[in-house]
Amino acid sequence: MRRREFVGTLGGVGSWVLGMEAFGSLRPFGSAAASLLIPMDEVQSDHLKAYGVAYRVIQAGAKVEWLLNYRGGAFLLPDGPAIRRDAALNGVTAEPLDDSSVGAVRGEIEGSNADAIPLEKAPKVAVYVPPNAQPWDDAVTMAMQYAGIPFEKLWDPEVLGTGLKGYDWIHLHHEDFTGQYSKFFLIYAGQPWVAEMAQFNEAARRRLGLANVPEMKKAVARTIREYVANGGFLFAMCTATETIDLALAAHDVDIAATYADGSPMDPAADGKLDWTQTFAFTGAHLEADPQIASFSDIDGHQVNAGPRRQPLGAFKLFNFSAKIDPVPTMLVQNHRDVIPDFYGLTTSFLRTRLKTGVTVLADEAGAPWVKYIHGDLGKGTWSFFGGHDPEDPQHQIGDPPTDLSLHPHSPGYRLILNNVLFPAAKKRELKT
Amino acid sequence: MLRTRRSLVPLVLGVLFLPGSRLAGQAISQGFELERQGRLEPAAALYTSVLRADPANIPALLGLERVLPGLGRLRDLAPLVQAALAADSDAAIRGLAIRTWTAIGETDSAAATARRWAAGDPQDPAPWREWAIALEDHQRFDEARNVLIEGRHAMGRQDALAIEQAELAQRSGDWLAAALEWAAAVAAAPAQRDNAVAQLEDVPFDQQDRIARALTVPTATVAARRLAAELLVQWGQPERGWDVLVPTLDPPTPEGAQVLRRFAESARGTTPGTQRVRGLALARLADLLPEPLGSQTRAEAARALLDAGDRIAARAVLARLADDPAAAPDVQALAHTALVEALIDDGQLDSATASLERVDRDPRSSGSDRERLRHALVEAWMRSGRLDRAEAALGADSSVESSALRGWLRLYRGDLKLALDAFRSAGPYAGDRESATARTAALALLEQINAERSPELGAAMLALVRGDSSAAISGLRRAADRLKGDRGRPDVLLLAGQVASRMGESQQGTAIDLFEEVVRSDSGAAAPAAELEWSRLLVRQAKPRDAIAHLEHLILTYPMSAVVPDARRELERTKGAIPRS
Repeated sequence: MRRREFVGTLGGVGSWVLGMEAFGSLRPFGSAAASLLIPMDEVQSDHLKAYGVAYRVIQAGAKVEWLLNYRGGAFLLPDGPAIRRDAALNGVTAEPLDDSSVGAVRGEIEGSNADAIPLEKAPKVAVYVPPNAQPWDDAVTMAMQYAGIPFEKLWDPEVLGTGLKGYDWIHLHHEDFTGQYSKFFLIYAGQPWVAEMAQFNEAARRRLGLANVPEMKKAVARTIREYVANGGFLFAMCTATETIDLALAAHDVDIAATYADGSPMDPAADGKLDWTQTFAFTGAHLEADPQIASFSDIDGHQVNAGPRRQPLGAFKLFNFSAKIDPVPTMLVQNHRDVIPDFYGLTTSFLRTRLKTGVTVLADEAGAPWVKYIHGDLGKGTWSFFGGHDPEDPQHQIGDPPTDLSLHPHSPGYRLILNNVLFPAAKKRELKT
Repeated sequence: MLRTRRSLVPLVLGVLFLPGSRLAGQAISQGFELERQGRLEPAAALYTSVLRADPANIPALLGLERVLPGLGRLRDLAPLVQAALAADSDAAIRGLAIRTWTAIGETDSAAATARRWAAGDPQDPAPWREWAIALEDHQRFDEARNVLIEGRHAMGRQDALAIEQAELAQRSGDWLAAALEWAAAVAAAPAQRDNAVAQLEDVPFDQQDRIARALTVPTATVAARRLAAELLVQWGQPERGWDVLVPTLDPPTPEGAQVLRRFAESARGTTPGTQRVRGLALARLADLLPEPLGSQTRAEAARALLDAGDRIAARAVLARLADDPAAAPDVQALAHTALVEALIDDGQLDSATASLERVDRDPRSSGSDRERLRHALVEAWMRSGRLDRAEAALGADSSVESSALRGWLRLYRGDLKLALDAFRSAGPYAGDRESATARTAALALLEQINAERSPELGAAMLALVRGDSSAAISGLRRAADRLKGDRGRPDVLLLAGQVASRMGESQQGTAIDLFEEVVRSDSGAAAPAAELEWSRLLVRQAKPRDAIAHLEHLILTYPMSAVVPDARRELERTKGAIPRS
């Protein structure tokens, strides 16, 4: 075979695998097994990429079952050469199962705190991210990029322009919805990245014809709330969790510093916040000092608030009943149940600031805060996960980007990817 | 305001009832305190009251000069200055008078005061300086320049008021004039060189060359050239600076030694150029110093030259140091060792051999130093292609490192089996990390080859270590041809491909041919390694899709290969799924 032919053949094979048509002809693999089990316990060689394999199988129109509480939240896929190939290329451990073995697995699931949830529709994913963000700025973007799950990016002009219709799932980049540039504006004054952040926001505000950046962010927050109320799935991390609720609560109150909107924060803002509009929090007190990069007392760790800063511990995932509470069970599937904590501008959520009805998915034993929460709003659901990057606990400005190929078993990143796959679950199964 | 005046009255009365100088001293202190508190009005009243008793009281006059502008009443100072001048002709009062007249626009009075002052002492630059500075402070630069020119003319010296001229020129952005004035100032007062360099360090990049040329024209003074030399070092052109300095050093003088010391001090950067000129300056300085300072400075020079990579200059200095009976024994031993290293690095292996023999005889040299030098010499002989000399230098050494070197010698002679034995006996840890890695790679290659001898492979490996990559590639191909049927053949071709792929665009086609041949023909460990190299080459050629295809082929075809983790990581990078690190 000549070189050109050889390369040509390889090229063809490569693009076939890369394209989603790869799974278009799923069929039994000759005398191969009926199913492939992707174990998600300690046996798995790349936990994060396993989600990508499952996603692509769903995307190709085949049915995947998520075996909750079975071998770390394993996936059961139909067997086929394309799927085996995808798993092999991504270094994902897959175990062929014949029909009788599948039967044995189902029997084990039936007799224990486990369940099999069908995943039927690959969710269309959007990430709310500023246009100048690097691909490695955000844990969710990194996780999806690494796992090979496609997503689209949108920002304020898109959210307020065409809305979020058509997306099943939206993730919020670590945005400050109070419109105060994460309160870095004064602290890091003169830094080019702060100037660029302000410049992008100001340009978007002008384009949208809004009075100031805080007003623009409030409008975006309201649109996202409406999206969830109409059946959307929202996942937020870090600052976005706390500030989207503050922005929603402050619909008629000025909670932004002078540098952000030209007028000082309303000194009586605390008492004027409307908590009926928020997703998760209530009764919080705002941080009025524009020089302290903290927004309120929702965050338990207060990483940038000097003496208020709390040290990092570890958080524990709750164990739910898979058959009774499949939704929270899906969101906590993991091969580890105790995970080292990691800072973000918002790291955790004080228990005393949680609304009634919020489901706590993970907390730190004995601490006044929780780490990971979930709830419903209208027809949709939301999950808030504190912290910025599960594999970069301190997350200092200027740290190098996290390379997930060095953390293929990251339990923290698994929680993110649980959220990405969660909307794929068959609707009826989501009613708890 | 009313309260202020009321409180002032007893204060001033209290001051007036105190005796003479004590009264004035206390009043001045109180005036300072009032100034500090921002209470200018009572401070001015206090200073004025002092002047009533002592019209030439300088602290009071200066106090009023400070506070009256803030009150918009500077003109109130004029009669007080007149009275002070009538009472005393102190330079401070005259300077104050010039500043006051200039500030309130009484230009003629300022000029008259300055000229009268200058007439009293024609060689005193102070009147002109005060007058010029007063004008500069009010942005009247042209007038200030004229005053300095008039002063220079009056004093009858071309270098008079040079510093003032330089600062004025710099202030108005005329860097060339500033540099020429500083050169004049330094010629008149060498102690001003620090100031000159500090001021001219900030010359904008686009003007540096013009200024350097102006300071080094054939008619330029020695002082100007030396100033240019130091400035060039500061401006990042150390070599040019040294070239400018050298002609100013003959004949040797004590001042020349100071200049060399200053130059070496200023060349304290970490770039090779800076280190080199520092070494050269110190070496020259060493010749001008008494012992033991001379040999100490020479050792410092050698170190700087070695750091700079100037082996030839370093060798000359080291040779002098090694033969210098005045040098301390440890300095001399160090010089011997460094000299051998310098000779080896310089490729003067016969001289290095002779010097090493001298080190061997020197009881002050350590055994580990001697062994390290010998091994370096053996490697250098091998790199030069003189395997017999390398063998002779190695002698009967039985250390672990020598086993490793012996392995290379045998490999280069084509004795593959003997080389394998020697590498195995050296183990994985001999030498530094780089040499251990190279040896392990060679060991891995030899373990794949059944043949006991291959002069072609030996010659190719020797060409490789000598840096002749083209000869190495063709030699490796020839060796592979001779190894037909040998299971090590693909590994030899893989090595040839790796060498070719690192040679840049000219050999990329050769590299791909070689990788393709290995991938097509081999079923062992070489094929996936070749495919990984092939894909990396494709990434460098900006063909990510082809690279991805090869990486996927590799991962799927050779799932148990040791290079699969590398391939998977390369695949992630190529797809953009992880950051490039």
